[in-house]
Amino acid sequence: MIIIAILIGCIVGALIGINAPVIPYTYSTFLAIAVVAALDSVFGGITSVLKKNFDLTIFISGFFCNSILSIALTYLGQKLNLDIYLAALVVFVGRMFTNLTIIRRYYIEKWTSKIEKDDKELQQ
Amino acid sequence: MNKKKISLILGLMCLLLTYGIAVQIKTIGGTGSVMSTNAEENQLRDAVLKAKEKYDNLYAELENMEKKLEEERTNATQNNTELTNLENAIKENNKLLGLTDVTGNGIIVTINDNQDIPLSNWFGDPNLLIVHDTDLMNVVNELKNAGAEAISINDQRIVTTSAIECDGNIIKVNGEKIGVPFVIKAIGLPESLISVDRFGGYLDYLKEDRFLKVDVQRADKEKITIPKYTGIMKFEYAEND
Repeated sequence: MIIIAILIGCIVGALIGINAPVIPYTYSTFLAIAVVAALDSVFGGITSVLKKNFDLTIFISGFFCNSILSIALTYLGQKLNLDIYLAALVVFVGRMFTNLTIIRRYYIEKWTSKIEKDDKELQQ
Repeated sequence: MNKKKISLILGLMCLLLTYGIAVQIKTIGGTGSVMSTNAEENQLRDAVLKAKEKYDNLYAELENMEKKLEEERTNATQNNTELTNLENAIKENNKLLGLTDVTGNGIIVTINDNQDIPLSNWFGDPNLLIVHDTDLMNVVNELKNAGAEAISINDQRIVTTSAIECDGNIIKVNGEKIGVPFVIKAIGLPESLISVDRFGGYLDYLKEDRFLKVDVQRADKEKITIPKYTGIMKFEYAEND
């Protein structure tokens, strides 16, 4: 169910994006960092669904707050001539890997426990 | 929290996300180069894009103003036969000069480089396999000879002051850079214009001896539109006798 919803969302979003007008090149850095922040939020959301402590308010507020904060940091970095967005990037991508690890462990554990169960049944 | 709501929200988030990614890819693809980390280069690119945006806006404004002027002129000359005649003469002359968009039947010639033959297998002159300014000049000349009334190359209108020049690896028409494939549109009698595709003509030479990709299409039924000349035409030295 969740996977189907994600797939439909991705396809529809891509279709709209392909037909949408391009944004000015100046703002493309902002959009890029917002995309990474949102990607991080989505990974976090999937992880919390697996951990069964998913909270809608936390998820949505995280999605928007992360994007807005990273955009603000990028803007500040442009004003200070310092690539602050790299820091946000490191945090987001690092968290994405952590979340990916959790997701991976969850499914592998599920898989191995299923195999063990099958083996026991066979032995009996 | 039911699963339906969660999946709906997650789907919506993914929609936003992929929308952003697709727009970003399109934006970066439109600049025609890979993402650069060089701040100075980015600034230069920004400046170019800003200038282009400004130019486009100003051009749209100019077109609006021209339309308004046209309306004013029509209104002012509506009830005066003499002025109406003058107005029609101005319109006719603008059409002849190439200062208005024109539509009509004609032909569309597309010429492209030959990119199929690898240069390692080609023992002749590699210059033969690409389109040069002289090729376009010859084709335009033949079209004019066949009675073309309006000609454009890649939407650059050919007017009396137009020059087709070589500028390194691209060609300039009216001072604007254009590249392959070259789409030459010509308005005139299609039966007459199609004779540029005859045996022994210049297009035949381009096809048979130079191995260029030439495509000629007749537009008998559908009308083709040729845009107006957008530059400034000004004579400083020539005076009326």
